Amino acid sequence: MGTILELQGVSMSFGGLKAVDSLSFDVRENEIVSIIGPNGSGKTTTFNVISGLYEPDSGDILLKGESVAGLRPDQVHDKGISRTFQSLRLFSNMSVLDNVLVGMHSVTDAGLIASMLRLPKVRREEAAMRVKAREILEMFPGRFSGPRQQQPAFSLSYANRRRLEIARALASEPALLLLDEPVAGMNPMESREVMEQIKVLRDKGYTILMIEHDMHVVEGVSDRVIAMDHGVKIAEGTYTEVANDPQVVEAYLGKRAAEATA
Amino acid sequence: MSLDHIVSVTIGGLTVGMIYALIALGYTMVYGVLKFINFAHGEVFTIGGYVAAFTLLTLGVNDGMSAIAVAGCLLAAVVASVLVPMAIGFLVERIAYRPLRGRARIIPLLSAIGVSIVMQQSIILVFGSKPVTIPTLALSSASIVVGGIRIRVLALVIIVVSAVLMAGLTYLVKSTRIGKAMRATSQDMEAAEMMGIDTNKTIAFTFIVGSALAGIGGFLVIMYYGSLKFDAGFLYGLKAFTAAVLGGIGNIPGAVVGALVLGMTETYGVSVDLGFLAWFVVAGLVLGLYVQMVRIPRRRLQHIAEDRRTPEYERSLLNVYRLTPYHGVKTLLAERTDALLSVSAEHAVRLMAGNVFLAVVAAVMFVNANVRIDTRWQPVIAFVVLMVILMFRPSGILGEAITEKV
Ligand SMILES: Nc1ncnc2c1ncn2[C@@H]1O[C@H](COP(=O)(O)OP(=O)(O)O)[C@@H](O)[C@H]1O
Ligand SMILES: [Mg+2]
Repeated sequence: MGTILELQGVSMSFGGLKAVDSLSFDVRENEIVSIIGPNGSGKTTTFNVISGLYEPDSGDILLKGESVAGLRPDQVHDKGISRTFQSLRLFSNMSVLDNVLVGMHSVTDAGLIASMLRLPKVRREEAAMRVKAREILEMFPGRFSGPRQQQPAFSLSYANRRRLEIARALASEPALLLLDEPVAGMNPMESREVMEQIKVLRDKGYTILMIEHDMHVVEGVSDRVIAMDHGVKIAEGTYTEVANDPQVVEAYLGKRAAEATA
Repeated sequence: MSLDHIVSVTIGGLTVGMIYALIALGYTMVYGVLKFINFAHGEVFTIGGYVAAFTLLTLGVNDGMSAIAVAGCLLAAVVASVLVPMAIGFLVERIAYRPLRGRARIIPLLSAIGVSIVMQQSIILVFGSKPVTIPTLALSSASIVVGGIRIRVLALVIIVVSAVLMAGLTYLVKSTRIGKAMRATSQDMEAAEMMGIDTNKTIAFTFIVGSALAGIGGFLVIMYYGSLKFDAGFLYGLKAFTAAVLGGIGNIPGAVVGALVLGMTETYGVSVDLGFLAWFVVAGLVLGLYVQMVRIPRRRLQHIAEDRRTPEYERSLLNVYRLTPYHGVKTLLAERTDALLSVSAEHAVRLMAGNVFLAVVAAVMFVNANVRIDTRWQPVIAFVVLMVILMFRPSGILGEAITEKV
């Protein structure tokens, strides 16, 4: 199986703070890799660098062997990396369906004049996209059925907003899906449901890099786990290997001990 | 006061309002996407008018020409008054705004003021400082008589053309791929980028569309009034910007509604008797009472915390709004009240003051029913009406589209 994503010594700092420090890892095709680590360990920043929001200070990011470091976010998305956000960033005033359709922006090409004239080609494309968007939404049975697709995103429940973020990211059928804490704030039942859906995505052939704090979910879906602390990768391997790694235990326990004394 | 008079005043108000709307759309779209007021937008309108006039004068349009030749000249003028502003809108964004994006908000604003001055001076340099005037065409002064009322054809053309353009714009923003990209960009630019939208392109497109609409506005104005001054864009721009804020900045239908309200206010204010105008104030009063008695209390009831929701508490909250000033003042003066009640009481007293003001104004107007306000008071009337509306609806008539309604 080929390598989809490869990070080679990627560093990213904000002022004096090294948020990501010469980080290297890879994600292979149809694999689910989870990144764990205490808050502030640089996980989200890693996602931001991969998706082009920041240009890395040093190092390279390869998608299927091709460098994507330094590209604009929309160009990275065009290359096949799509993501969700830890703090939800839906287009709140747009409908559920429109959110998914925006996710398809890079795979459609209806020009302005053709759209305004409603040429048959555009109408066909729009109809096809709608069908596809509905299919994606149906991945979450009963959550986005019927009239709910026309509701604005802000009217959704919290868990449904998280689901819609995943649907929007899937809309472009990305080569690599980045999920930033997909079950954060969900109750155990909802988390389990999302976990099952992530497994379904793997069966469909998706490759997923995921940040997650919920260890049940991490254990349940990950082929491999990467642990980070202070921007550095401190362990990598199967869930059991990483969970028992002394450095990982210290990173978490140290934090908990600090919390206990505080 | 005759019906004829009122119909023709209404058409006059709609015409002016539609022109304001064409310009206001550019302000509101750019604000929606960039949260930035493009103060140079008024000058784009002036340039549209000048370019149209220049084209017509160069082609030597006059009534001696055949109808087809005149139509050809007008078509050329329309095309020029759209294309040149489009190019200018694109270049201004590229040169003066894009490099400053992401800086403190005041910086692009200063740049916009600079651009506005540069454009005004350029108009003087290219076309001279005297107003540009086009020859009177039979077509632009033509009028039809409907039911005994004489109406200028051009006024109807302006109203219809603008309405069609606005419908087109609504379709564009709501339903097309680029329109969805515009809405996504206006709500969360970074997220839009990470969903594959080239926001630079989307922003450039927004400027181009806004400039084209302003350019058409310039063409229609030069046709309607026959002449234009180099600084016309200042006042038109200011009014259109006001209209955009009045309707809810960033809100596209809001810009149209705000512009029509402003156009009608200006026209009606000085063209009809106070006795007639008073009915508008009465309508405003009815609306104001509805807001105070029904709408706001209904919304406030939802703010009551679950554990405090008792029928008595709900009733006391409603009373604060419905039976002010008595309950409002009583609540304000009471020693211990809870936060929601006292905030509501303050709010209610303010709304009541607005309604009393409207009632007094209406009464005064009815007493002086036969007086007509002097034209010189036009800006003052417009100002007072705007302030009253914004007092009841601080975010504009239709609300700001970009604020998240959670
Ligand atoms: N845009 C930014 N500017 C400055 N500091 C940042 C920025 N983004 C993240 N950081 C800092 O980088 C560190 C890593 O943050 P983050 O990647 O969000 O951690 P995690 O997702 O692992 O909780 C934190 O100390 C955070 O404060
Ligand atoms: Mg994070």
